[in-house]
Amino acid sequence: MDLKRNLLLLTIIYGIIGILPLFFGSTQFIMHILIICLIWSVVASCWDLIMGFAGIFSFGQVAFFVIGSYASAIISAKFSVPPIFSVFLAGIVAGALGILVGLPCLKLKGAYIALVTFAVHMILEPILKGDIGRAIGTGGSRGILTIEPMNIFGYTFSSSQLVPYFYLMFILAIICSLIILMVIKSHWGNAFLALKDAEVFATCLGVSAFKYKLMVFALTSFLTGLIGGFYAHYVGMISTRMLGTDLFVTLMIMLVIGGIGKFPGAIIGSFITISINEMLSPLGSYRPIILGAMVIILVLMMPDGIIGLIQKIFPGRNREEARTIS
Amino acid sequence: MIVEIIDVIISGMINGSVYALMAVGLTLIYGVSKAFNFAYGSFYSMGGYLAWLILSAAFINSYLVVFILAVPMLLILGFLIEKMLVAPLRKRDDWEIKVMMITLGLALFLDNSYQVVFGARMKSLPSILEGSYSVGEFIISYQDIVIFILSIGGILILRWFLNSTRTGMSVRAVAQNPAGAQIVGIPKEFVFSATFAISTVMVGVGGILLAQKYFVTPTGGWDILVKSWVITAFGGMGSIRGSLYAAFILGMLEAFVGWYYGMNWVLIALFAVLLATLAIRPQGLMGKWG
Repeated sequence: MDLKRNLLLLTIIYGIIGILPLFFGSTQFIMHILIICLIWSVVASCWDLIMGFAGIFSFGQVAFFVIGSYASAIISAKFSVPPIFSVFLAGIVAGALGILVGLPCLKLKGAYIALVTFAVHMILEPILKGDIGRAIGTGGSRGILTIEPMNIFGYTFSSSQLVPYFYLMFILAIICSLIILMVIKSHWGNAFLALKDAEVFATCLGVSAFKYKLMVFALTSFLTGLIGGFYAHYVGMISTRMLGTDLFVTLMIMLVIGGIGKFPGAIIGSFITISINEMLSPLGSYRPIILGAMVIILVLMMPDGIIGLIQKIFPGRNREEARTIS
Repeated sequence: MIVEIIDVIISGMINGSVYALMAVGLTLIYGVSKAFNFAYGSFYSMGGYLAWLILSAAFINSYLVVFILAVPMLLILGFLIEKMLVAPLRKRDDWEIKVMMITLGLALFLDNSYQVVFGARMKSLPSILEGSYSVGEFIISYQDIVIFILSIGGILILRWFLNSTRTGMSVRAVAQNPAGAQIVGIPKEFVFSATFAISTVMVGVGGILLAQKYFVTPTGGWDILVKSWVITAFGGMGSIRGSLYAAFILGMLEAFVGWYYGMNWVLIALFAVLLATLAIRPQGLMGKWG
């Protein structure tokens, strides 16, 4: 999709989301879900950027999210840094770790990258629960139970008034989406497209796969860590339970519903997924079964996700191009 | 001290042999069809649960019956899953990531179905052979010996299958050159499904064997998936001989780290060794790119 259509779609999506508090502002439960949706929409978009556009099979997105949330909670508690700064520091910590993971990873191929990044996810739990984790203040298997709420210039966001929180996250989500859109539409995004279509040719023309992939690794883990920090201050308590397969697969369903490599799709996907998840919650232990079945059916039936459907209904100017390519 | 060390070596050998069986299954399917199966661990639990179901039926209490019943069931199941879930995706150009996603969905589906059907409590299986053999202070149970023999036997059967049967040779042909194999008339789609089915059997049998020593839990397969994955990457994806060596090296490493530092450190040590190896040899011990 071209930039104009992308921007239009983003405006429509965020326009609709932005006026929702007018109707639901008094219902705490719905506001909470909306905030969670916004949080996951950014994480899912980051994952989409790294997996769909850059073509790196990274499975460590949840790990960076958890790293960010722990980092922010620990930094704000230990060094009494105001949360608004600790969130950024958490992003930087996650980004630095992202580069550290990316350096050995990007020499590898396909499924190996998936393994190494998933490995980060798997060993994070024993590290956070073990002696090393307790030494830096992760609270072991209990987690961190008291995290300072967000405050800006003396105004404290409280969990009893969710509308200000919502708009704070709303602005953050818009900024992140614009950054991601800029990356996709810039020289950067073109480099990825070239690398995906003809890797050898692109490298011969002087496109450095390693440099661009490392940069996208750093950027996505920075943004994910930042949002993770925000999540920690919003929810007020974190534990290693976030590293279970449930959250991981939920995040993946967002991508499947939205369409991989179809940018604003991940945002729509996260809203649909969280809503379905909440609707299914009365079903108890049957819920994950249904989610699993949903992934299978959606991948088979709707491989391009919502955006694929939209593109089919409104082909736009790209239709001619697509025809000549195919 | 010496007795303890010998014990650790034996437990490393036995775990290593079962890991070898499972890792060879994983590397086989990756080598042949380049598909990565996230539901591999769930088939491990399925093996355990099948054995538990068959053994808890009152009139059967022999592991021979378990193998006779469970192996064809796993074979058919693996074949059908490949045909229904993975094969339709192969036409797409981004099928690799789609296969990872669909198998991840399948893993979530299966794991939680076990939880609903069998309950969250762990199930234990009776030992395959009671009694033990002792020399002085040092004791080895018959169960361990049988597990070792059965898993090595499984790998040998696979070797015979790949080297000496027509289907096995066509599997190797497809692994080496899919287009060429199709030109000479090998049914590629069938070979993909057959490979998937064989790998399902291998991990399922691994589940039946290991479930006697450890327990069967709904989510126990994740650990196995990660370990088999580490072993295949360490040995080189697609290389059967590599996985075999890697399984014993890492099984031994796991036993020693678990004994000396505690089980918490096992995964961390495995990944540290894997990362160091991949930094020097990105294709693993015996792998080739491509």
